[in-house]
Amino acid sequence: MNLMKTSWADEVAADYVDGLPPTKVHTDGNFKYVTEYKFNEEGKKVKVVRTYKIQKQTVPKVVAHRRNWLKFGDSIGDKPGPSSQTTMVSEEVHMVFLSSKELEQAHEPQMEEPGKKIAKCRICNGEHWSVNCPYKGTAMDSKTLMESKATAAAAAAVSDTSKTGKYVPPFLKAGGCANNGSAVGGKAWDRDRSAVRISNLPESMTEADLEELVKNIGPHNKLFLAREKNTGLCKGFAFVNFKFRHDAAAAIEILNGHGYDHLILSVEWSKPQS
Amino acid sequence: MRPLMLQGHERSITQIKYNREGDLLFSCSKDQKPNVWYSLNGERLGTYDGHQGAVWCLDVDWESRKLITGAGDMTTKLWDVEYGTIIASIPTKSSVRTSNFSFSGNQAAYSTDKAMGQNCELFIIDVRNADSSLAEQTPTLRIPMTESKITSMQWGPLDETIITGHDNGNIAIWDVRKGQKVVDSGSDHAAGINDMQLSKDGTMFVTASRDTTAKLFDSESLMCLKTYKTERPVNSAAISPILDHVVLGGGQDAMEVTTTSTKAGKFDSRFFHLIYEEEFARLKGHFGPINSLAFHPDGKSYASGGEDGFVRVQTFDSTYFENIFE
Repeated sequence: MNLMKTSWADEVAADYVDGLPPTKVHTDGNFKYVTEYKFNEEGKKVKVVRTYKIQKQTVPKVVAHRRNWLKFGDSIGDKPGPSSQTTMVSEEVHMVFLSSKELEQAHEPQMEEPGKKIAKCRICNGEHWSVNCPYKGTAMDSKTLMESKATAAAAAAVSDTSKTGKYVPPFLKAGGCANNGSAVGGKAWDRDRSAVRISNLPESMTEADLEELVKNIGPHNKLFLAREKNTGLCKGFAFVNFKFRHDAAAAIEILNGHGYDHLILSVEWSKPQS
Repeated sequence: MRPLMLQGHERSITQIKYNREGDLLFSCSKDQKPNVWYSLNGERLGTYDGHQGAVWCLDVDWESRKLITGAGDMTTKLWDVEYGTIIASIPTKSSVRTSNFSFSGNQAAYSTDKAMGQNCELFIIDVRNADSSLAEQTPTLRIPMTESKITSMQWGPLDETIITGHDNGNIAIWDVRKGQKVVDSGSDHAAGINDMQLSKDGTMFVTASRDTTAKLFDSESLMCLKTYKTERPVNSAAISPILDHVVLGGGQDAMEVTTTSTKAGKFDSRFFHLIYEEEFARLKGHFGPINSLAFHPDGKSYASGGEDGFVRVQTFDSTYFENIFE
């Protein structure tokens, strides 16, 4: 055996065209491997190995003849086989089969049953308008009114400003402005001063629970339970505006550190927004 | 399945067609070079260079020797399929919208647009001994279209008739020997017909219309047999040669594409059952509306060309053939 051994040093020194090793093709059974070297966009030398599966097909004579046609036009210089310039194998796609049932659902977007009423009572959640509610003016009504007080207040503020037809920044609304007289201003000040912030509330907290919690301490003007916009769950804190400042102080005294639904509440004076 | 993406065009595809055996796939686009591909592996065989405007239509004769194209440069050209050379270039008075070989390949028909003060006209030429002198020869038949311009055209059986689809939704059959209209469908479609493709035996054809429907017609009486409804304009429709399936391609108007997301655009190929008129499958792929569809003559794959400039060759997997319509 007298094989010429090529040393690695010779291999490196070999003078390749553009400094790249030539393309090698080798066939193994039904697979053809093409090894190519090229420079990528960053100027680095990369080795590209393409694997082709060789399939044999029986085709009509004319088709076989056409396989041997020479390329022309823009493809004139292309090597045999698909050029990576023009032909790509795209990513896997799947046919989506639709059953007739799915289609019907897709085409008819939730048609409302003709018999179903769209009215919903604000007081008792019944299928009638609030005006016609049998519970109108009863305790149940007043409770819901309480809950909607915040919105009502907001609406009032809006109507106040709409009278003048001029934009009023939120902090000047509802008599918060110093120019609006001491009586109104004082009231606002008082209201702010009798507000407490309750935090570490459970997620399942509702307005009704909150009212239950604070109603024995003293009368309150306003309850606000912070809720997550999307889920509607309690964000863990709430504000209560008591009528009297001493009630608010009592609330802090009683409820701060009070265990509620396996959580320990933290109650403090509500700090005005800076 | 992993479709082949053929990226040979710079602008939106206008028409794609397989040859009779299905080994070659021809595509033309609004750039100026129609392409020919091997449908099996997506290898490009060549481009037909010579047009100077958007190429609107193409057709290949049954022997895959000649190719006819019509373009916005106001010519229709005959090409040698194998070498990509021009056999004849016939000048017209306005851009050429449709062109087709007759089944025998002896005759070809093409129609021009109603534009630049010209009426839409249908021409029939004899291409048996086509050479460059064809440009000077008078066509064997000229039929002026007074009502609405031709947007789609097919040859009827035995090369005796031509079926035309019009911009106003009408379909008509013309006798090639008399040069007269023999059947008029009336207004089955409410808007222009974008595409018409015959079934394998030629007894019926499917239309694709801007009025968001595709319809199946009897090719002799123009009786409307079936209607396939979608929500978007249908740009192309093709009948499977082996199964009772119709594939529809479309999407919203090309001008609205940039303002619509791929999801909302409904750019899928949609498969309808030929008889039950019900959609049973969808296949995604294109980023824009599909402008042209063609079934491989063996029915095991199909190709689609889109406004995005890609031609995609999809080979069905076994799930397509196993799927039994309920």
